[in-house]
Amino acid sequence: MLYDLIILGGGPAGIAAGIYAARKKLKTLLIAESFGGQSVVAAQINNFIGFKSVSGIEMKNILEEHLRSHEEIEIKEGARVEKIEKKENNFAISVNGEQFETKTVLVALGSSYRKLSIPGEKEFTGKGVFYCSTCDAPLMKNKTVIVVGGGNSGFYAVLDLLPHASKIYVLEYGDAFRADPIYIDKAKASGKVEFITMAKTLEIIGGSENGFVSAIKYKDRQNKEIKEIKTDGVFVAIGYAPNSGIVKDLIKTNEQGKIIIDHQTQKASLEGIWAAGDITDVLYGQINVAIGDAIKAVLNINDYFKKS
Amino acid sequence: MVKIYSTPTCPYCVMVKDYFKKLGVEYQDFDVSIDEKAREELVAKSHQMGVPVVDINGTIIVGFNRPEIDKALGK
Repeated sequence: MLYDLIILGGGPAGIAAGIYAARKKLKTLLIAESFGGQSVVAAQINNFIGFKSVSGIEMKNILEEHLRSHEEIEIKEGARVEKIEKKENNFAISVNGEQFETKTVLVALGSSYRKLSIPGEKEFTGKGVFYCSTCDAPLMKNKTVIVVGGGNSGFYAVLDLLPHASKIYVLEYGDAFRADPIYIDKAKASGKVEFITMAKTLEIIGGSENGFVSAIKYKDRQNKEIKEIKTDGVFVAIGYAPNSGIVKDLIKTNEQGKIIIDHQTQKASLEGIWAAGDITDVLYGQINVAIGDAIKAVLNINDYFKKS
Repeated sequence: MVKIYSTPTCPYCVMVKDYFKKLGVEYQDFDVSIDEKAREELVAKSHQMGVPVVDINGTIIVGFNRPEIDKALGK
């Protein structure tokens, strides 16, 4: 079986691409670990056009249902892509021991939580180190919690934690908080939040008795002092990193690992590969933008077949 | 016996529960944000405290991991 198009990713970009590919009657396979993408964890989305307010899960269900109404699209869900290789004029994609061949690929794998990459982070993930505050904030009832990151993601975490935690410290690497003032004001008004800037996190330390997080060590970049705060949980909210590891030997990526594309056509640097959504060097990481870009990609792929 | 340890706000918990419903798998749901005993059970079983955690006849799965859930259910 040789596909016209294999779409990698089940976020808004992948789903939009699937719907357009079906309408263009391209022989398509969509491979996704799960549907919805990173916005699935959003408690509320107020700018998904056409919907005044939906939760991330509702958005995912709306999009997934639309995709699945096109029965001609083959879907492989719960599968992680292991390898993408150029095979003569086509591409071979390996998933869970199976291999699929296709004439074209659309990479829409999105991005995931950026890691701090400091000692203790990996070891204590789930044991006090968390990335999804919507998920895990309720576990911090009456606890002292650190949020690393003073941008919007950091303050979303603070707001998720406010009803539960007794004390919250926000650590920011820069000299000021970059979050929208409305969020910072809410955090200030609670009286529970301590704000620390110029903090370079160094290590997450675990308590010996139960193997869970007990403290965080950071360097005050102003006076170079090393400080430690006792804590029960560390929420890492320093933005997102593109899931481009699997393709970076095949196509060009920028210094942040984002796929460099032609913004008119969504083409990547190797013929036969397109990319869309947050994995690309698009300026704005937005659901609506990802959807539009994925559609541009499929229309361009369709043109490519018409020409060849 | 299938158990899920969850919090009310956690989207992946909803996804796991929706998946069980789709398969017609009966499960017991424990809200660890209010149920302290369940929270201790969650930590004892999974050696971590993130949610969701699924216990399928003694097989412990952290997160919404469909292939692992399928395997544990014998699908």
